[in-house]
Amino acid sequence: MTLADRAHAMLREALDLYRDSPRATNWLRHHVDRLAEPLRVAVAGQPEAGKSTLVNSLVGEEIAPLSVEGGRQILTWYRGGMNPRAQVYPVQAPPRDVPAARMGGRLHIDLEGWRSDQLDRVIVDWPARTLRGLTLIDTPGIDSSEVGSRISLDADAVLYLMRQPHSTDVGFLQSLQDHPIAREAPVNSIVVLSRADEVGGGRIDALTSAKQLARRYRTDVGLTGLCQNAIAVSGLLAHAGRTLTEEEMVSLGVLAQAPRRQLETAMVSADRFVGDGVPLRLDSRVRLALLERFGMFGIRLVTTLIRQGFTTVDALSAELVTRSGLAELRESIRQCFTDRHDVLKARSALLALEVVLRMEPRPAARRLVSALEALVVSAHDFRELRLLAALHGGRTTLPDPLADEARRLVGGVGTALPARLGFEREASGHELHDAVSDALRRWQEQAENHALGTGQRRAARVVVRSCEGMVAQLTRI
Amino acid sequence: MGEHGTLVRVRTQPWLSVLDDTIAACITHHRTDLAGRLETRRSLLLEPKLRVPVIGELNQGKSQLVNALVNANVCAVGDDVTTITPTTVTHSQKPVAALVADVPTSGRRAIGPSNEPTRIPVPVDEVARRALVSTPDVHAEVGLPRELLAAGLVLIDTPALNSTGALRTASTFAALATADAVLMITDATGELCASELDLLKEVTSLCPVVTVVLTKIDIVPRWRKVAERNRARLAAAGLRVKVVPVSASVRLAAAQTGDKQLNEESGFGDLVRTLSQDVLKNGDAIARGATAVLAAQATKELIGPLTTALTEARTGEQGRAQTLYRAAQHRLDELRRRTTRWQTMLSDEVADLISDVEYDLRDRTRKIIRSADEFFDSADPAKTWDDFGEWLREALADTAEVNFAWLVERFQWVAEKIARQVALEEAIPEDVAAEGMLDHVGGLEPPRIEKFTIGQQVFVGLRGSYGGLLMFGLATTIAGMPLINPISLSAGAAFGAKSIWDERSGRLKRRQALAKQTAQRHVDDFFLSYGKASKDTARQVQRKLRDHFQAVVERLQSGIAEQATVAKRAAEAELAERRRRSQEIAAEVDRLAVLHKRIQALVAPAAPRELTA
Repeated sequence: MTLADRAHAMLREALDLYRDSPRATNWLRHHVDRLAEPLRVAVAGQPEAGKSTLVNSLVGEEIAPLSVEGGRQILTWYRGGMNPRAQVYPVQAPPRDVPAARMGGRLHIDLEGWRSDQLDRVIVDWPARTLRGLTLIDTPGIDSSEVGSRISLDADAVLYLMRQPHSTDVGFLQSLQDHPIAREAPVNSIVVLSRADEVGGGRIDALTSAKQLARRYRTDVGLTGLCQNAIAVSGLLAHAGRTLTEEEMVSLGVLAQAPRRQLETAMVSADRFVGDGVPLRLDSRVRLALLERFGMFGIRLVTTLIRQGFTTVDALSAELVTRSGLAELRESIRQCFTDRHDVLKARSALLALEVVLRMEPRPAARRLVSALEALVVSAHDFRELRLLAALHGGRTTLPDPLADEARRLVGGVGTALPARLGFEREASGHELHDAVSDALRRWQEQAENHALGTGQRRAARVVVRSCEGMVAQLTRI
Repeated sequence: MGEHGTLVRVRTQPWLSVLDDTIAACITHHRTDLAGRLETRRSLLLEPKLRVPVIGELNQGKSQLVNALVNANVCAVGDDVTTITPTTVTHSQKPVAALVADVPTSGRRAIGPSNEPTRIPVPVDEVARRALVSTPDVHAEVGLPRELLAAGLVLIDTPALNSTGALRTASTFAALATADAVLMITDATGELCASELDLLKEVTSLCPVVTVVLTKIDIVPRWRKVAERNRARLAAAGLRVKVVPVSASVRLAAAQTGDKQLNEESGFGDLVRTLSQDVLKNGDAIARGATAVLAAQATKELIGPLTTALTEARTGEQGRAQTLYRAAQHRLDELRRRTTRWQTMLSDEVADLISDVEYDLRDRTRKIIRSADEFFDSADPAKTWDDFGEWLREALADTAEVNFAWLVERFQWVAEKIARQVALEEAIPEDVAAEGMLDHVGGLEPPRIEKFTIGQQVFVGLRGSYGGLLMFGLATTIAGMPLINPISLSAGAAFGAKSIWDERSGRLKRRQALAKQTAQRHVDDFFLSYGKASKDTARQVQRKLRDHFQAVVERLQSGIAEQATVAKRAAEAELAERRRRSQEIAAEVDRLAVLHKRIQALVAPAAPRELTA
């Protein structure tokens, strides 16, 4: 029985128990349905952290932000769907569809005059590969605590964007864990060091520097336990890379061919670059458009890359996606979120269940309360996720080649049996069985190995438990 | 501006007199801490230097701005948390730099031989790197020959605020406390956020001359819009602060190439102009503003306790003397109330006591008499009188002793009760017990006991036998027998014997009755004399007690009355003192209010703040 199944069963049990309370029933039923829904990932951060840009770059199209009258941003859900569709959820009226269409790779929504203070959220269905099995929630800036609680209520996982660790950011990340179950399983957030291209004022090594910063934040004491990973991403570059056009390629080519001295003079400031006084053979409007799309750092990088030989749209696009950190972010999302879809869903369900049990305590539910506690403490899936995060962030280190193997065995490269056991092809049951027995034996030795530190042995015990789980899975087959 | 100019400024400016008055007021009100702070600031204001900290959140370009302003790489610049310790940049004839270890103003280390901060000279081009690896209680000092600095400008690069490590912000706030003007740095990649606005509000309350510098405009094409939005936000927050957009990297590039046009584009031309206009040429206004802020703070702190004291003096709690007077009066009343009662109480109690004691005595003597009667019902006083006398004396002595002890005990109790009634603190008189009570038992006179002597017996026997002899002799004579015959003789003998016997028992009865009478009389005598003595003692004791308590009450009354008078006098004095004090405080508050007005007048164009006194 997987964690998700157990969570489902417990929700059902609670539904039965609380059938006389309409509020609890509604809430629980909503969460039973939610278990079957795609994973919800909120993109959160302070205003201007680059949330919408990141959503766009993840989807690969320009769908965020939604411009709503009234100035305030609203929660916007981007769900996978066959056709573009948008539903508004007004605060005091039933949800309704509003016209939505895709025009030139962009989302156009007619909000029919709804103002931002009248709307609770907007749900956009959008046909995009990224959104299959993943719902992205673009959130307003976390200026108000209200947004924070909405995020922890609505989302299964959080991509937290920050430009530099500000006290507000740490406060928000802590508030995400401000729940007894959330504390036991702090496995649902990735910190994104956003706008990485602006680090160091857009120096040519900005992205490298940002990556180093991100690496440091992974082991930063203030962030330890608050996030599973920290990744530097330049949403602007990623988005530009994913939506690069031939036209832009030509203009960029012109820039790249300009004498280096000339380009450097032009690139002293944004004002100079778009001004008339520079000897560049490009229209100033084109230059402004390029600047908006790529930023100063982006133009410097792209012209360098073109000179280095990335002269086709595809090559440059791929290089930009890699360099921007988007590839790493997607990989991390896959590892930490989508691969662990069931666990995160179950976690949300257990959180919801705990809320009911706490808000409406009754004697008959006592058994459920202890069952919930036991499940949260013992759930091996949570332990695997914590270990994975610790290994990734460098909070726990294992000597090579143990580290890689441990990562693989606890599901770091995929949670299916062959992936865990390191088979890149289809493997027979017999082969799998041999591999898992071998791993189990070796890791049992490591768990008793006194040459390792306490933390390392604890990590080894988690691996052993994973191996035991695999053995059990194999014998069931 | 030279030394001379400064001196003129010092002599003529009203802010200095206001500041001095405020310091004086602080000292008058025993707030040497405030005075100390103001004096430190005063000496800083008198220096021709103008201290301008460069503050802002993490990675906004504070250090880079300082570097660009002085065209030298004196502050460390990095992508992560970089500046951990402040760097002060001042004017000097030739480039110098030093790392200065701050000496704690208090604590054990200050007791050392020298309180001078230790100063390690370092090369100017290395100071940035060295400051980077120093400890937070070391700060860097750099002197550069720059026209901008020559006018007295001191730039202070500070660690970031609102970063995750709160420890480092202390030195920033220390720099703010002595700032003449502040450059608040925010970069153009984003608008001012809520925490920055809060910070600005706090800063403007400490130091009125603040300029927001919008940095990194070289990488943001739409920086004009950001600047506009920031100005709007500042205006909405009620902050009248100038926003100057700059680009440090453009300025540094311009400096490298000597491009005047580019330098102008960098915005630093504007910044320098703003600095010289708003800060350097405005030294007097700054001093006025800083004085106004500081002095207003200080006077507010002074007025706070004064107003509390004033309201207390006018309406609040009564003084100590007043309370004492009240208490004394209360006690006097209480004592009066009690003394009216204690005398009745004493006589009642003594009457009860006497009757109880008498009853006890009677009861006891009765028992003795009964025992004596019973005893003499059977015993022959002639034989047992001595033993009986002994017993009776003992019994009576016992009675007297027990009864008297009881009397004493009762008196003790009565005395205690009355002592409680009159005044708790007074002891009970000790001399209640009277002596010599046992004398009343007296000597027991033995009853006159008739002895039945042989002669009497013979006489009685003869009298009996004579009758018998005669009676039987006569009877027998009828039978022809002589009067004296054996029969009559034997009858006479028998009658004689019976007479003796009868006489003997009769005598015993008489003796017994007599003994009983004697015993009863004796006990009665005892009862009478002892009872009298006992009553007398009781009355004596009662009198003694009355006198004693009378004296005690008088003493108490006079003591308390005296206290009350003293307290009354004190209370009156206190009241007068309070009146005087409240007038004094009111005058002091008025003086401070005048001072406050003068302080407000320093920043005249601004609307005067409400004085909450």
